[in-house]
Amino acid sequence: MALQHKIFSLHQLNSNMKDTFAVFVNEFRSVFNDRGVVIIFIFASLIYPLLYSAIYKNEILVNVPIAAVDCSRSHRSAELLRHIDATQEVNIVSTFATLDEAQEAYNARKVHGVIYIPADFDKKLNTGQQATISAYCDMSSFLYYRAMMLASNYCVLDMSNQVQIERLNAQGITGEEASIISNPIPYDDTILYNGGTGFASFLMPAVLILIIHQTLFFGIGMLAGTSREENRFHVLVNSKLNNGGTYRIIIGKGACYFFIYLAWSFYILGFIPHIFNLPHIGNPIDLLFFLIPFLLATIFFSMTVSVFQPNRETGMILFLFFSLILLFLSGISWPRSNIPGIWQAFGWLFPATNGIQGYVKINTLGADLHHIPFEYISLWIQTGIYFLTTTWAYHWQMNKSRKKAEKKEMEQMELVPNA
Amino acid sequence: MLNDLLKAIAKTFKRELKRMIGRPIYFLGSIGVMAFCYIFFLTFFNEGQPTRMPIGVVDHDNSSVSRQFIRNLDATQQAKVVMRLNSHTEAREEMQKGNIYAFVEIGHNFEADVLSYRRPTLTFYVNDGYLIAGSLLLKDITYMSALTSGAMQQQVLRAKGVDENSIMATIQPVVLDTHLIGNPWANYGIYLLNVLLPGVLQLMVLLMTIFAIGVELKEKTSRQWLRTADNSMFAALTGKLLPYTVLFTILGMIANILLYSYMHYPLHSGIGWMFLATFLLVLAYQAIGVLMIGLTPVLRDGVCLAAFYGLLAFTYAGFTFPIEQMPPAAQIFSELFPIRHYFRIYVNEALHGVSIEYSIIYFVILLSFTILPLFIFYRLKKAAIYQNYPIK
Repeated sequence: MALQHKIFSLHQLNSNMKDTFAVFVNEFRSVFNDRGVVIIFIFASLIYPLLYSAIYKNEILVNVPIAAVDCSRSHRSAELLRHIDATQEVNIVSTFATLDEAQEAYNARKVHGVIYIPADFDKKLNTGQQATISAYCDMSSFLYYRAMMLASNYCVLDMSNQVQIERLNAQGITGEEASIISNPIPYDDTILYNGGTGFASFLMPAVLILIIHQTLFFGIGMLAGTSREENRFHVLVNSKLNNGGTYRIIIGKGACYFFIYLAWSFYILGFIPHIFNLPHIGNPIDLLFFLIPFLLATIFFSMTVSVFQPNRETGMILFLFFSLILLFLSGISWPRSNIPGIWQAFGWLFPATNGIQGYVKINTLGADLHHIPFEYISLWIQTGIYFLTTTWAYHWQMNKSRKKAEKKEMEQMELVPNA
Repeated sequence: MLNDLLKAIAKTFKRELKRMIGRPIYFLGSIGVMAFCYIFFLTFFNEGQPTRMPIGVVDHDNSSVSRQFIRNLDATQQAKVVMRLNSHTEAREEMQKGNIYAFVEIGHNFEADVLSYRRPTLTFYVNDGYLIAGSLLLKDITYMSALTSGAMQQQVLRAKGVDENSIMATIQPVVLDTHLIGNPWANYGIYLLNVLLPGVLQLMVLLMTIFAIGVELKEKTSRQWLRTADNSMFAALTGKLLPYTVLFTILGMIANILLYSYMHYPLHSGIGWMFLATFLLVLAYQAIGVLMIGLTPVLRDGVCLAAFYGLLAFTYAGFTFPIEQMPPAAQIFSELFPIRHYFRIYVNEALHGVSIEYSIIYFVILLSFTILPLFIFYRLKKAAIYQNYPIK
């Protein structure tokens, strides 16, 4: 009896697996038969990482054109301007006699900053007074501002130190003593994890994870919208498989998306960072283990939301802008510590937020999996929760489908006697 | 003749209004999305600049001097000392966990070295994986170190008998006075929202234009649409798109008002110029939307095309990474994005307040996008009549 039962359940298991596999294969077919889904799943996943990495390839600004107004016309002012011009960040492309002329060039967007050296600059330096240099920065992009500040700060400080030693010497403080006084507590700054302060190295890791998250979301939404439109009852799933069939459908479909995106992950998160020299110091094994809950959470999240999508295109129209919201919620640009609490909580709902943080910590900062329990556990919790919500949603849809079918049958039965 | 045309437009306009009420997507995709973005972005960047970001200290000295330095650091605007760590390794791990964005390491005998002029080095580490947090903290910590150094110098010079007047001139002979044009607070809200909000607007204009037309083809109602417009493609398009022109222009103007009146972001020109720029931005993207759905003319392909182009607009506005610093092959596309020209108008007028002559060309370019639908007029009309394209 027990043996018979065992054989039966084995048989059952076998048939369940067959069903699941059938769903898997079927879903694979519908992915590749649908041009819209192919565009999102294959084309967008292929092109977007390449495109954005290529656009931001230069990482930093070099030789930003700026203007100089030298009213001092002295040896020292010329030296300072020469130094500023020689920096990597800026390039003095024109020199003007007055600030008004420089402003005209600035207004015409020919230069993105102005260095102004007043007429009394040299006199003040020679008479032991404090001299002032002015820097005008273009704030239309903060990267201009940054370039201007880096170059002018560095050169002005350098000249300031030079003059300081001279003044100390004049006061009878010389040699080692002068250098001690000029800099009693030297500091040593080290920039970690993005040593070149590159824009792409900072932004692209987040964008790459976002590409995976969003293409999965829109692709799954489109597939669901299609099956709804083609289904004669306008519900998401046909109720061919009853009782327990929900799990077979969800796991079969989920596995299909999972394997497609596991393959893509090697390209998007492995190949692209290597080719474009984005940060890639993460341990591949940790990355792989992190990726599993991220992909699963994203897939089940998308499947849950897809239930509410009546048409193929509506999801993309209404939620495309959300890519931008997710980028800010991730806490990569605007630091997580400074995101208002309510938006932090809201952000937690989306696998992208923890996915981006976790990926950046592993791959940019070189953290191990045990350093990021919050992100890792959150993603598993999301996987669990969204799996449940997907089950409920599919159940609901299947019941609806069955009811509609029964209703139709009833109607037909009533129609027969009348005819 | 003109009267007939106007009548046809009016009929199509009324038909479109009915359609808009019949389906939630029309208002969700315009008012819904924009309202969400206004609330989100205005509350998100409320602070202007990130303040009190978490940093750590490794204080090997634990003296009154080192403690004073840490207190000073904590009192700066950007940094907040949230943890004291025992070793460099521990601090590095906290940084990798993302709990702190920077840390300062103070060596053994720091106080003794300071007091006996042995020049102890202050070491600090910032995480530029988070570029904004990292660079702001670097600035803040550097400033505090320089200040500490300066106080030290002041003490020594006083002891040497240098007179008070020349002490400052000796410590800092050359001062850099920086002027941040238009945005003196380096406020990130001002920097980002002036492009992000119109950016979302252009995305939604594009998508809704394509949807409004594409859904007629998909659901095979396009013949009825043309009939309502007395078979004039011009009337059909004008009548159909006019409600959205009005709706999105109002939404865009609300964004202008929110930024310049409610948030008091810099506006050095009349708000009228920004209203005009917003209106032309809406028109330009409607024209591009018509072009896209006319080219495909399949709703799904149109939406994909719009998604691709609409998201790239955030890159090609040129407000994050300047266009002329991109690889040359990437630069050439920037002129094809109306938001690029809107951004130039914003910088010239609202941010810098220069004479309008500098911006007229960009207004004209925005306006010139509106001729694009002419190129696909015939193709779109054929598609509307024959309905011979795949709907899937």
